[in-house]
Amino acid sequence: MAFVALFVFSLLYIAPGDPAAVIAGDQASPADVERIRASLGLDRPYLVRFGEWFFRVLQGDLGTSIFTSLPVTQLIGQRIEPTLSLMVLTLILAVSIAVPLGVIAAWKAGTWVDRAVVGFAVFGFSVPVFVIGYLLAYVFALKLDWVPVQGYTPISQGIWPWFKNLILPSITLGTVYIALIARITRATMLEVLQQDYVRTAQAKGVGNRDVLFLHSLKNAAVPVVTIIGIGVALLIGGAVVTESVFAIPGLGRLTLDAILRRDYPVIQGVVLIFSFVYVLVNLAVDLIYTLVDPRIRY
Amino acid sequence: MDRRSFLKTAAGTGVLAASGGLAMPALSQGAAAKTLRFVPQANLANFDPIWGTQYVVRNAALLVWDTLYGIDDKFQPKRQMTEGEEVSADGLTWTFKLRSGLKFHDGTPVLAKDVVASLIRWSARDPMGLMIRAIQNEITAVDDRTFKWVLKQPYPKMLFALAKNNSPCTFIMPERIAKTDPFTQITEYVGSGPMKFLRNEWVPGAKAVFEKFADYAPREEAPSWLSGGKKMLLDRVEWVIIPDAATAAAALQSGEVDWWETALSDLVPVLKGHKDVNVDIGDPLGNIGAFRMNHLHPPFNNLKVRQAVLTALNQEDYMRAIVGDDDKLWKPMASFFTPGTPLYTEEGGEMLKMKNVAAAKKLLAESGYKDEPVICVVAQDMAATKSMGDVTAELLKSIGMKVEFVATDWGTVGARRAQKTPPSQGGWSMFHTWHAGADCVNPASYTAIRANGDKAWFGWPDVPDVEKEVTNWFNAKDLAEEKAVMGRLNKAAVQNVVYAPTGFYLGYQAWRKNVQGVTSGPFPVFWGVSKA
Repeated sequence: MAFVALFVFSLLYIAPGDPAAVIAGDQASPADVERIRASLGLDRPYLVRFGEWFFRVLQGDLGTSIFTSLPVTQLIGQRIEPTLSLMVLTLILAVSIAVPLGVIAAWKAGTWVDRAVVGFAVFGFSVPVFVIGYLLAYVFALKLDWVPVQGYTPISQGIWPWFKNLILPSITLGTVYIALIARITRATMLEVLQQDYVRTAQAKGVGNRDVLFLHSLKNAAVPVVTIIGIGVALLIGGAVVTESVFAIPGLGRLTLDAILRRDYPVIQGVVLIFSFVYVLVNLAVDLIYTLVDPRIRY
Repeated sequence: MDRRSFLKTAAGTGVLAASGGLAMPALSQGAAAKTLRFVPQANLANFDPIWGTQYVVRNAALLVWDTLYGIDDKFQPKRQMTEGEEVSADGLTWTFKLRSGLKFHDGTPVLAKDVVASLIRWSARDPMGLMIRAIQNEITAVDDRTFKWVLKQPYPKMLFALAKNNSPCTFIMPERIAKTDPFTQITEYVGSGPMKFLRNEWVPGAKAVFEKFADYAPREEAPSWLSGGKKMLLDRVEWVIIPDAATAAAALQSGEVDWWETALSDLVPVLKGHKDVNVDIGDPLGNIGAFRMNHLHPPFNNLKVRQAVLTALNQEDYMRAIVGDDDKLWKPMASFFTPGTPLYTEEGGEMLKMKNVAAAKKLLAESGYKDEPVICVVAQDMAATKSMGDVTAELLKSIGMKVEFVATDWGTVGARRAQKTPPSQGGWSMFHTWHAGADCVNPASYTAIRANGDKAWFGWPDVPDVEKEVTNWFNAKDLAEEKAVMGRLNKAAVQNVVYAPTGFYLGYQAWRKNVQGVTSGPFPVFWGVSKA
């Protein structure tokens, strides 16, 4: 995390752009811009700024947004629920669709079912997230009026309104994720289904469902769990676009707005949070390995 | 809890949720009718209209803070918070009296000392304010409702300065807030305008909410832009930030929002075809497209090179690139000023009408252009600058100039254009932008037309003839004199190519048909708007 902090801070330091110029507006003189830069402390040396920021981060203070004058932790706090909701719902949706799809495709390898799943996976990889988002919004929100076009309803205001606002963004964000998990599950299952113990189980008269989901899937789970973990990074990236298309006030949009305005403390704070989440997910993946494969020990 | 009871609880929760049992009570129809959901042009990222001069901040601030005077649709300053004013015979002392009964949102009365503190803060940031500050003897509160501004020399445009709608406006804040350094952001948003800002509901980048101020005392006159009675017919205005134009259009069609400030021209045909949506021109003062050349370094430190570019320029190419085929949305302009406004002039603007590539090539040959590369910095994240940049690159190549196209984002352009170093050392030769038409009706707040060298806007033109006419305009006594000055000013600006105007363009706004009272103006006017 310390390395991430140093990397993010340095990257922003050398990146072109000037928040003071954005704040000052077009009418401002260079002297005005300079005064704003000084008032924001942006004229101080790199090491001083990094040292101060890093010391504050160690105390749990991510600083104050240059533009809103609000604490970064408050801004993140306002935005974390929508993003978390979107990611969790997408994850549930994706895993519950993609894993069975991959298993079935491997089981029916070479048939039209397999080809349909592979075709869907190619589609999921190829079509940009925003195109899927616009198409879904056009059909299900604008034409059928089943769900809202945009926005987010907090879960505290009802699970159904919350779900209605999130279902299209989740499908949008989840499509590429479903494609990824389904393909990996299929490939791994194809390998496992060739194993002797599977043939033995089938010879002993074990039913197809048990062969697939009890004997084979468990042994194919390690690569699948790995890809689910890696895919979280994909979700974080996709959330930026999905939140913009569906006007969800989440961390993705906060990040994008902050980057465009060069709101350094916000960018640094959000990247740190995302990195922390990613580290946690990787830790969880490592722990799950020990559950799905008892041979793995740390 | 055992597994069975957990499942029971979970199932019960699901049924309750499905039946809407966990949902918050919906707004009553009356409350919904009094709440307007508005999609602004941009995110309200900060809320200090003096510290940050973005127009979206100004537009929100107009709801919360009142001004001493307000410009009307004839560009005349009208009293707003003031009851009257007096100027001494020598023009050096201005005495203003406030209306009675003015209150801030925290219940305290608006006093002259609040006005004085607010004007001091404003005058440190505003171009006209800075001019007044430079000739100011003192500004003092005489009593609770009277204040006095004493100058060293007359300033005939005083009322215009206090009434103008360009950012920053003369927003009046309580003294304790107005005493904040003008380069530091305020953190308390207390005004005396028709609506209160609900800070606890503000989610920057997502939502900003305004609530009717019950104690606001509107003027009796009919409203006209910033002047007249600001009577709020709505209880609540919610600004919903939707960054994506297609999503905003869809939200308007589905009735999730009521008014979209800047409807994208590509989506307007769809909106015009919708039975519940009205579409019309938003800001009648529109925008002036522009690219600025760096007068400090080759090749554009050479007047003939700048004139060659202007001679070849075809504004129609630029305008079609920005607004497409809708002819209602653009006009050519042989001028630096906003078409359709009282002082508009095309005097001396012939060069902007030539569109003559052959003549431009001849001028370029005469200039001694040595094939220096033009570092053309273009922000790709702004539709207008990207479109203009593409046209300019072709224009320069067509007359035989060497172009180095730097595709970047607006944040980078903002920083790079401030560099005075030669283009080869991280500087620049040219960048694209646009100016709000409201800023270009006269020289008052028109920073881009100033040509005072080092103090001028990016590009740093140094043209004494232009500066002389700007000064003459500030000293002009009547409209006829102002018009004469404007003609000479336009001629000098065109001849010396202070910058290159690429045309005048407008934009649409769109709103649901159950919303009444929406008008065209240089900012969204919420007073007088109601919702059925």
